Amino acid sequence: MESAPGNITPAAVPAIRAPEQLRFTGTGASYFGIWIVNLLLTILTLGIYSAWAKVRRLQYFYRHTELAGSGFDFHGSPTRILLGRIIAFTMLVVYNLSVRLHSIWTLAVIIALAAVLPWLLRNSFRFRLYNTSWRGTRFHFRGTVGGAYRVFLLNGFLSLITLYIMVPFAHQRLKAYQHDNSWFGQTRFSFHARAGQFYLLYLMLLAGLLAMGIIVAAAGIGGAFKALVEAQQHGGRVDPQVILRAVGILYGTLILVSVIIGPVFHALMTNLIWNNTRLGAHRIECNMSPLRLIWITVSNLVLLVVTLGLFTPWAMVRLAQFHVESIRVVPASDLQEFAAAAPEDVGAIGAETATAFDFDIAL
Amino acid sequence: MSVADNDLVITGESVNLRVPFAQVAIDERLGRAPRRLRLPDGTFCEVRDLDQLDALLQSVGHRDGWVDRMQRHLRLVLMALVAFVLVIAAAYKWGLPVAAEIGARHLPPALAEVLSTQTLKVLDGGILKESKLPAERQARLSSEFRALRLPEGGVPSSALLFRRSRPLGSNAFTLPDGTIIILDDLVTSMDDRQIMAVLSHELGHAHGHHGLQLLLQSSAVGAFWTFYVGDISGLLAAAPAAVVQARYSQKLEQQADDYGAALLMKNGLSPGLLAEALHTLLASHPGASKEGYLSSHPSTDARMRHLRELAAAFKPIEPE
Repeated sequence: MESAPGNITPAAVPAIRAPEQLRFTGTGASYFGIWIVNLLLTILTLGIYSAWAKVRRLQYFYRHTELAGSGFDFHGSPTRILLGRIIAFTMLVVYNLSVRLHSIWTLAVIIALAAVLPWLLRNSFRFRLYNTSWRGTRFHFRGTVGGAYRVFLLNGFLSLITLYIMVPFAHQRLKAYQHDNSWFGQTRFSFHARAGQFYLLYLMLLAGLLAMGIIVAAAGIGGAFKALVEAQQHGGRVDPQVILRAVGILYGTLILVSVIIGPVFHALMTNLIWNNTRLGAHRIECNMSPLRLIWITVSNLVLLVVTLGLFTPWAMVRLAQFHVESIRVVPASDLQEFAAAAPEDVGAIGAETATAFDFDIAL
Repeated sequence: MSVADNDLVITGESVNLRVPFAQVAIDERLGRAPRRLRLPDGTFCEVRDLDQLDALLQSVGHRDGWVDRMQRHLRLVLMALVAFVLVIAAAYKWGLPVAAEIGARHLPPALAEVLSTQTLKVLDGGILKESKLPAERQARLSSEFRALRLPEGGVPSSALLFRRSRPLGSNAFTLPDGTIIILDDLVTSMDDRQIMAVLSHELGHAHGHHGLQLLLQSSAVGAFWTFYVGDISGLLAAAPAAVVQARYSQKLEQQADDYGAALLMKNGLSPGLLAEALHTLLASHPGASKEGYLSSHPSTDARMRHLRELAAAFKPIEPE
């Protein structure tokens, strides 16, 4: 933006036809202030402020995410988010109470929750996307309620009764439901990844977990458990050292899975999903490096522990930057022209979002 | 962009706007993100030169919101950090025990019962085994326990269960609904009057709903931890459940001791019995108080001293 003192004038717009990488310009230091004020005010208001905190957090991250020199924006109203949080919290409490207090009502409550959850989640997608914009044009989610019941309830149920063999399929259907029904202004997103590709990644995940299991077995956890079981049966005392080692190995395994297998799977899955998503004729490329994600996860974890959590804002910014900057938009035509020619049909959208049940259903 | 007579004037190649400044909504300054001036017709103007915009806004007397200012001035941010730490420390030290006490008193008894039944089921399937005490010893202790008169009147309503456990050794504890579990090793290491003293102490925990208080406190700490690091690391958010072990505070132990002492005196027994029982427990857990009954009972010496003082002042009344 060129500027003379007291005067700020709009810049000229050159055409964009080459692949355009998303940029993240936030910094841990500037996010720290928002983060700590959010924490303080949330505590002081016994959680009420958390809705406003969420808006500020999302605005910080959206506005520092830039495509072709323009930031994204978040427009969600804090009161809507507060309403969603109250509903989510109530459902959580009701669920926990009903699971603990075994009675005839337990099943009824679970069925009732399962019946409304897909509808709530669909409305929550709609809220999130409608309140996201780039260059003044809003995103939309137009998934049907029926579709939500299929991807959440029916596919979830199928996964359960097939002993999780259908999980990759259910995952693929969920992503298709989300991406095929997303719009940027008048332009629709589309999703092209096949279930077979999801199965391949899940097989790799399984192989990784098995390899980890073999390593753990070799580390001698079997012996420790055998000693424990024998002590249980014959009433002998177990050497505390053995128990300590077993617990150590178990927790070590959990850490290894979360900092190695988790990030690798996440990176490969994110690549698969975004490489197979298009916006109209524009392609999207995602090139997330699993090794770099492992490094970020491990170093974040160490620094979080060392700083008693005060590193959180930097950790979040690092992670956001890594995610955002692994994505490129490959334009099929001039991106500037495309953005300029995406006017809103305000009337229809206004009606769509006027329902009382659009809110962010998350805690 | 400039300002004239309280109007915002935007001029450029294809724009020429003049809007009263009071009608312009100005976004917060978040880090280095471009800031937007939202005009009444729904359009907006994105500004990247943040310092120059600040100067312009200042010249028309615009003042950013207090949260906005707090978020980005180093001194205010550091004050927020200090305030956050102080609030958390104060809430943990003073607020949490009081809130847990009030909460424990008002929770429906049905909830405590369900929690206790579940806990007992888990314990019985693992760490606890059936008692090997002779039936007549169990019956005698039970009837002595039932005959105790409570300081506030009436007799104990708590259930008394006998169990055996190697890892827990010489021990007794109370579940949230007041059910007391006493282990074989403890029974065999004491005489009946000392056992009644231990049970009086446990009745003190039951009377004060200490089990529920502990549960509420650890849930609150867990919830706070999840809130604090949950955004960034699921692994860290799950950590306290594995690491932190709930313990009665010194204050709750003393409350239970005082209640136990009052109960013993009401029944014509000396509070010194509880001190003796503590002494026996201390001896049965050699190598200091790292595990078992005493680790959850801090500063046993101070407690024994206190109980002996009570005992010295105690004049047994002949039961009528």
